[in-house]
Amino acid sequence: MQKQTLFLSNWIFPVLVGLLCAAIVGATSMYINFNIGALNEIFIVQLLDAGLKTGDYAAAAGFAAGFLIARVLEGPLVGLLDIGGALMTGVGIGIPAILLASGYMFLLQDFYISVGLGLLIGLLIGLIIIVIRKVIPEEGLSTSGTDIMMGAGNALGRFLGPLIILSAINYGMLTGLGAILGAGLFVYFKKSIIGGTILGAMIFGAIGIYI
Amino acid sequence: MLILYAIIVGFIGGAAVSAGAARMYHIPQTQAMGAFRTLGELNACQGDKISHFSFGFGFLLNSAAAAVSTGALTQDVLHRVIPNFSAGILLFKNKSVEETLHNPYKMFIVGGFVGAIVMAFLVSLSRLVPTEVALIAKEILTPAANLMINPVMPIVFLLAALDAGKITGTWAVILGGLAHIIMGNGTPGIILGILIGQSIQDNKGLNKTTVIMIGISVILLVSIAYFRGIFSKIGF
Repeated sequence: MQKQTLFLSNWIFPVLVGLLCAAIVGATSMYINFNIGALNEIFIVQLLDAGLKTGDYAAAAGFAAGFLIARVLEGPLVGLLDIGGALMTGVGIGIPAILLASGYMFLLQDFYISVGLGLLIGLLIGLIIIVIRKVIPEEGLSTSGTDIMMGAGNALGRFLGPLIILSAINYGMLTGLGAILGAGLFVYFKKSIIGGTILGAMIFGAIGIYI
Repeated sequence: MLILYAIIVGFIGGAAVSAGAARMYHIPQTQAMGAFRTLGELNACQGDKISHFSFGFGFLLNSAAAAVSTGALTQDVLHRVIPNFSAGILLFKNKSVEETLHNPYKMFIVGGFVGAIVMAFLVSLSRLVPTEVALIAKEILTPAANLMINPVMPIVFLLAALDAGKITGTWAVILGGLAHIIMGNGTPGIILGILIGQSIQDNKGLNKTTVIMIGISVILLVSIAYFRGIFSKIGF
C-alpha cells in the first residue's frame, strides 16, 4: 500500500513523464536510424520524414510545437496530461524536428543520447506541470481551445483510411482490390479500416509479385 | 541491436504510460497522464480481462500493419495496446479493479514487461516482411499521408475553427494563411489561431496570457519567415 502512495505522489509525476519521453525520443531515434519504431501516427511521422528528405522541418516543428505548448498548459488545468499531443507528437516529433533543423543530427543518431535527452525534456515538462498546478492561475489560456483541437485531431484520423483506399486503387488493380476487400472485412468486424486496407493491399500486391 | 533498443523503449515507455493510466483514476487529487479516450475505453471493459485483451489486440493488429508498411507504430501502442494488456494481465490474478488497474505501482511493473514484449514483437514482425512487399505499402501510403498533411489537415482544423465562432475563425484564417505563405502548410498557424481566438472569446477580451501567446506566435512566424528567406522574396 505504501508503494501505491509513493506512485500517486506529485513528485513522481516528472519521473514518469521523463521515462515516457525517454522512450518516445528513443523510438524516434530508432526511426531515424532504422526506419522503424516511431511511436506516432503514419501521417505525423510522414511530416518528420518529409523533413529528413528535404531538410525543411518547418511544417513538422510548427505543427508539433503548437500541440506541445497547448497540451502542457492544459495538462495541469484538467489534471490529465494528453500524451498523444504533448509527448508523442510534441516531444517525439516537434523537438527532434527543431534539433534536426538546427543541425544537431548527432543527438538523435545515437540511441542512448536520445533516451537521455528525452528523459531530461520529460523531467522538465513534468516539473513545469506540477509547478503550474501548485500556482494554478485564475486567468489562463482557456481549455476550450484545446477541446476544438482535440475534436479536429480526432476528425482528422478518419480521413486516412479512405485516402489509403484511393491511393491503393491508383497504385494498381490488384492492390486496389485487396484494399477494398481488406477494408470491407474490417468494417464488417468493426475494426478500424486502416489496418484492413493496408494488409489487404499488401497481401494482394505480394500475390502480384510472386505469381 | 534493434531488438535491444525496442525492448528498452518498450520497457520504460510501457511502465510509465501504465502508471500514468492508473493515476487517471485518481484525478483530480493526482496529476495523471494519458488521454480521456483511454480512460473511457478502460472503463468500458472494466473488470473483464477478455474485453481488455481483445480490445488491445484489435489495435495491436492495426499497429502491426502500420509498422510493417511504414515503420510508424501509431499512437495506439501507448494509448490502447499496452494499458489494456497490462490491465488484462493484472485482472487474471485479482478481479478487483481497485487493487489492480487503479494501482499505479502494479501497473508500472506489469506495463514495463508488456511494453517490452509488444515493442519487440512489432519491430521483429516488420523485419519478416519481404522488402518488395513493404515497398508497395510504402508507395501506397506515402501519397495518402502527403494528402493528409496538405490539404486535409489544414482544412479539417480550419473548419473546426470556423465552427467555433467569428473571433476564433478570424484569428485562425489570418494566422493560418500567413503560416501557409511562410512555411507552405497552414496547420501550425490555425492551431495558434484557435488557441488565441478561444482565449479572447472566453475571457471576453485580452489578458496577460493571451498577449504572451500572441507575442510568441508573431516571433515564431517572423523568425521562420526570416530563415526561409521570405522577406527577400517580397523585396525587403
